[in-house]
Amino acid sequence: MTQTNREQELVEKFLQDNAYFRGPDREIIENHGLEPITDREKKAIANTSDEKMSIIRSRIQAVATEATEMIMQLGSAPGAKWGDLTASFYTASGDMTLGSTKGITAFATSSQYALKYTIKYWGKDPNVGIRPGDAFMHNDARYGGVHNADQSVFIPIFHKGELVAWGCCIIHEGENGAVEPGGMPVIAESKFMEGLAISPIKIAEKYNLRNDIVTFLQNSTREPKLMLQDIKTKLSACIRMQKRMEEIIEEFGVDAVIATLRKTLDDTDQEVRRRISEWQDGTVRTFFVLDNTGRENIMIKVNLEVEKKGDTLSIDFSGSSPEFLNRAVNVNLSVMHGMIAVGFLYYVWPDLPRNQAVINSFKIKAHSKSVVNGSDDVPVALAISIAESMVSVLQQIFGKFLYSAERRYTRIISPVYSSVDGFGYGGVTQHGEIVGNISADINGMPSGAREDMDGEHSIYLTSAAMADQGEQELFEEELPWIHLSRRIFKDNQGFGKYRGGSGFQQIVSVKGSPFWGLQSVTPASRVPMVSGLFGGYGCPVYPLARVKGVNVFKIMQEHPELFEYSIDEIMNTKPFEGGTYNTRQKGMAFEQMQEGELYMQTQGAGGGYGDVLDRDPNMVIKDLEDQIISDYVSQNIYHVVYDPETLVIDVEATIKKRQQEREARKKRGVPYQEFIERWVTERPPGHLPWYGSWGNNKNVYAGSPDNVMQVDHLQPVTLPDPKDVRIAELERLLAERN
Amino acid sequence: MMKRISVDIGGTFTDCFLAWEDQYLETKALTTHHNLSLGFMDALKQGCDKLGLGVRTVLSQVSSVRYATTLGTNTLIERNGPSVGLLTTAGYESSVPLSRGRGYGEGLTPTEQANLPSAKRPEPIVPMRMIAGVRERIDYKGEVLLPLDEEDVRKQVRLLINRGAQVLVVSLMNSVANPIHEKRIEEIIIEEYPSNMLGAIPVILSHLVVNRKGEYVRTTATILDAYLHGQMFHALSTLELALKENGYTKPMQVVHNSGGMAQLNSTHSLQTINSGPIAGIDAAEVIAEQFKLNKLICMDIGGTSCDIGLVVKDGTRFYDFNPVIDRWLVNIPMVNLKIIGAGGGSIARLDKIFNTIEVGPNSAGSDPGPACYDRGGLEPTVTDADLLLGYLDPDHYAGGTIKLNKKRSELVVSDNISEEMDISIIDAAKQIKEKVDSNMADAISTELRVKGYDPKSFTLLAYGGNGTLHCCGIADQLDINQILVPPFSPIFSALGAGMMSQLHIHEKNVYINIYDVNKRSLFQDYESINAIVEELESKGREDLLRQGVEERDIQFRLELDMRYGNQVIESSVICPISRLKNIDDVFQIISTFRENFRARFGEGSEMPEAGIRVSVIRVISYVQHEPIYFNKEITEKREQPVPVREQFCYFIDVEKPILTPVYDINRISEGTIIQGPALIDSSNTTYLIEPGWVLKMGIQGSALITRSNRKGQDKLLYREKYFSKGVTQG
Repeated sequence: MTQTNREQELVEKFLQDNAYFRGPDREIIENHGLEPITDREKKAIANTSDEKMSIIRSRIQAVATEATEMIMQLGSAPGAKWGDLTASFYTASGDMTLGSTKGITAFATSSQYALKYTIKYWGKDPNVGIRPGDAFMHNDARYGGVHNADQSVFIPIFHKGELVAWGCCIIHEGENGAVEPGGMPVIAESKFMEGLAISPIKIAEKYNLRNDIVTFLQNSTREPKLMLQDIKTKLSACIRMQKRMEEIIEEFGVDAVIATLRKTLDDTDQEVRRRISEWQDGTVRTFFVLDNTGRENIMIKVNLEVEKKGDTLSIDFSGSSPEFLNRAVNVNLSVMHGMIAVGFLYYVWPDLPRNQAVINSFKIKAHSKSVVNGSDDVPVALAISIAESMVSVLQQIFGKFLYSAERRYTRIISPVYSSVDGFGYGGVTQHGEIVGNISADINGMPSGAREDMDGEHSIYLTSAAMADQGEQELFEEELPWIHLSRRIFKDNQGFGKYRGGSGFQQIVSVKGSPFWGLQSVTPASRVPMVSGLFGGYGCPVYPLARVKGVNVFKIMQEHPELFEYSIDEIMNTKPFEGGTYNTRQKGMAFEQMQEGELYMQTQGAGGGYGDVLDRDPNMVIKDLEDQIISDYVSQNIYHVVYDPETLVIDVEATIKKRQQEREARKKRGVPYQEFIERWVTERPPGHLPWYGSWGNNKNVYAGSPDNVMQVDHLQPVTLPDPKDVRIAELERLLAERN
Repeated sequence: MMKRISVDIGGTFTDCFLAWEDQYLETKALTTHHNLSLGFMDALKQGCDKLGLGVRTVLSQVSSVRYATTLGTNTLIERNGPSVGLLTTAGYESSVPLSRGRGYGEGLTPTEQANLPSAKRPEPIVPMRMIAGVRERIDYKGEVLLPLDEEDVRKQVRLLINRGAQVLVVSLMNSVANPIHEKRIEEIIIEEYPSNMLGAIPVILSHLVVNRKGEYVRTTATILDAYLHGQMFHALSTLELALKENGYTKPMQVVHNSGGMAQLNSTHSLQTINSGPIAGIDAAEVIAEQFKLNKLICMDIGGTSCDIGLVVKDGTRFYDFNPVIDRWLVNIPMVNLKIIGAGGGSIARLDKIFNTIEVGPNSAGSDPGPACYDRGGLEPTVTDADLLLGYLDPDHYAGGTIKLNKKRSELVVSDNISEEMDISIIDAAKQIKEKVDSNMADAISTELRVKGYDPKSFTLLAYGGNGTLHCCGIADQLDINQILVPPFSPIFSALGAGMMSQLHIHEKNVYINIYDVNKRSLFQDYESINAIVEELESKGREDLLRQGVEERDIQFRLELDMRYGNQVIESSVICPISRLKNIDDVFQIISTFRENFRARFGEGSEMPEAGIRVSVIRVISYVQHEPIYFNKEITEKREQPVPVREQFCYFIDVEKPILTPVYDINRISEGTIIQGPALIDSSNTTYLIEPGWVLKMGIQGSALITRSNRKGQDKLLYREKYFSKGVTQG
């Protein structure tokens, strides 16, 4: 029976009035587009010249930058100090319109959903409401945002009783009371182990913090001081944004401000459509594999197909792995939206203003209950593993479209190394403080090679400009762990005509703490997540290495000659007697370390661009002189002939050697059809714990060739506790012996 | 009576200010890069000629010669310094090449920083092959974790010298906490390469250049110091020698970017970077005092950049403790100077996304320069717009040295902007002017607001080639009511050098909890702080005594870098007391910090409950010199001068051109009042008095420009007036 509109409205109102829980709103989360333009906005735009809007836009942009700098100065979280933050303005409807060029834009674009939730649910709620002087806070990524380690504060900006805009400040705070310190718990088996899950709440009234709520939040984490300081920081910055906006309104009028906020979005949207139409029509397909959950080694596929037709772009994740009910690697769709926006804003059109309209015209398809569109009940604490890699995989796609584009707005770049290689830490400092967070080493991702130059060594976070690796002397003053080496790892390179940047290794230990431990959320110890472009090599893979059962500080005093500074030297020569040397995948749950034990990992490398045989031999020798590659690589990858003593290149011999290698390649090669016949199988091999499609995107495998789901009916996967697996294995061994 | 010479040697001109009893003289000469003393002596001779005295006579009688220079900046740009080798803690060889990641973007605009696919670190001063790690390690407390391997040191030193190092920098982890290894390495190098031998090599230790933590910034500061050292030493020594040969017997004083000056033997080369513009801020401090102005924004607009500094009456001097020099982040204390890429040469372009005009940060510089220079510039600039709007005289620009071609300006504005936007060339020029004024206003506003100030309460001090041309437009955007063009504005930095005090800064990294939240206790070990202050005062005293000042003239200022909890920001607080005696003193420090913080970041931003820490103790030791006194303000009204000509000018928000009188500055006497719109031509620049502003000519080339009516009202009046009369351009 068909309901009339009136009946439908009545039913919806009843259901809304009688909801027992106002949980995340899928309608909001799944809509990455702009809110419809309002009559108020249309009228304001009609009354404001482009010229005036240009002046106002610059002014608002300057305020966003001012607020970002203010947070960096006042914030206490390492994320605030070292660039993992941002400040942005939103329209009255909640669209992110003008953000700071510094910091992480994905924070701002993905927080719009939490803001829209606030408008929808609390705006009309008489017990909550949105009034001048209010401020709201949230961290639960299911309502919008990247992951629960990030916390936002947003403030409504009124003019004579009319809601005109919103200001929002977001910091990667880290510690949030999760089962492991630092806010990114590897062992979270449900969302209830991820610590604080703050749905949008009112944190301040009349510009004053509500102490009852602040105390509750402090009481829920390991670092109550950090919680207090950074709530105050974000609120102070939001109030500053509001004050500045009021001044701009006073100078230019409220209509001009409303017009600027909205028209910036519409103009960006139009420009994106125009720029898309400059590309050749076509489809590019690719995928990447996350090789561990932090707890076990499995193959989690993220599949991606991008089709460009006319001025529209369709992005399809069909064929990606199902979500995991008890592993934290799932990603909310809002994060994927944010990362797609970041990919385009940072690596295709860096000249565009930082706002969400960049993806307004895109069609994005991600099946519900897939790992890239996690449902509300799955844990997402490690979402950045897939999210950051999304940017790298987009770079592969961009390269292919841009190569033949009529016009480019920046260089083509091979994929940037995108794994979050920095230890999480937690424990008691030498000053007696309890802390838990992540190291600024994550801001050292090496860039990919460019179409006309090499990549840069550890340079930024894939998703943030001007991210900062900080100063070790200052870290050591506050925290008890010590980096004994931060040297670039030799031969850690995406080879190519232009090579990717190299990453640095982190050899760390702890001294002077009663309790200290580390954790790592990094994938790519077995399957590289960063590829090359147009013949360039991808990134190598590396394990996490440990030397347990020794105190290197004692050894440094008694046998100083034994200490080494590279992971390979330490692991290959095993210089410290009595130590246990082992390697494992980089993903690692929180693990206590004793004074003087060594934990070691390295940043990977950016992807290479073009054929290694086309690399200028002089550039090879320079890398050799700089000790970032070995003689082996120079001679066997780049095929350069030189005097090993003087490093003088034998030009003729190099040409000859490279020609020989080209001939050898032809001999090694097989015709395409033959390769396909030999290589392609119908189903994944039985020994491979494969999650995702295998050729046909309609069928999605869930760990074995026999467990197949239809792409439209994905179900969450549950994995056994690795400890139970280990116990069962030991019991089996025991039974065999008996 | 005061007899003093101060000089600012810039890239093009050498400016000289000569104070000779009650006469103040300004002269200019071309800078002679091959031998700076030639340009300097030329400028000085011009001054002496005006006095009717010989150079030797003047030099033998002046009490001091003060010198500011951009020589170091030029060395960095031209990269003609020596080959520097770096010895650092093994394991940390990559710190400088990685430059904390963000090093790729230091010194660039936000737009350039955001272009990640094009991110490229600057060409290194120390390439990776010239960096060697030595086996040693010291922890944050200064305890030796790994003893220094002396054999390894000798090996690494030989390696670097064999690779061509001409100067060695030694920068080790935590050397600030314990410099024992840095000192020992210096001894080893001297043993290996004795100073009496021809192969001796200069060695610079990081803890002696900067005594603060932060291994990357300290190492970078030391590298820059080493790179500039040789050239600066030779150039300045040559200059000092030339002075001695001409009768000057005292040590030459070199202006520091810390806002003071010292003899050559007490100057690090790095301290001279930007010393010219910073001397200008010093001059502004004296002007604020003598003109009874509480707060000044110093705005020096040149061809490619706009330098912004602040002066406030309460004596707070704004320092940047992590300044960027060229493209390098360092941690020497430098007077805060914000440099933005906006000037006469800034290029305007059409922003197709929003159908509006953007200006800068790219600049046409001086070569090819703006299109109207007729030297091949193909893009429209701010100067082109100023010419089209009628503000510049094509025949008398830059003292008549550059003839401007208006047709070229019309062509480039038309080709690049107005045709595509379907607007007139004049409307495009107006938008260019409004946009560049807005950009500069936004930069000034941000600079002030992050320090807790509202621009409205400031006076704008406008100087530099384009300062007087754009000051009204910028003040309009900032809602500022008063602009001062300072006396001797064409040589303002040289004037500033004449105002400088002898000053030295000594600082020490500490970890002192004033309020320890974990222990819930307040700081009580007063003697430990007092001992450090005493030590730093002694160092400053020794520096100044070595330069021949009287001990009784030496003054000290104690500053503490403080923070709440674990913030990264270090707010520098001028300590109201120099020694701590009791808990009242502790509370006084807490209270001062709190007041500063609240003023800067707003009510409620203070966080004492998170703990209060001191991270740096800094003592500024200085000797105040007699300032240069400007003449008193003229109060009597003078007759309105006769314009030398009239020309049509276009103004923002006024549709039609206004016939605008043009005056010659040499024919305007002190006290004369000129109502805007008006133009005043001087040999170095043009004063643009926009509608709604009125100028009162002051002494020694100064001028006070104030708003004659409520903001914008005069413009409306003009609009109505000229619309009704239907005046059109003739």
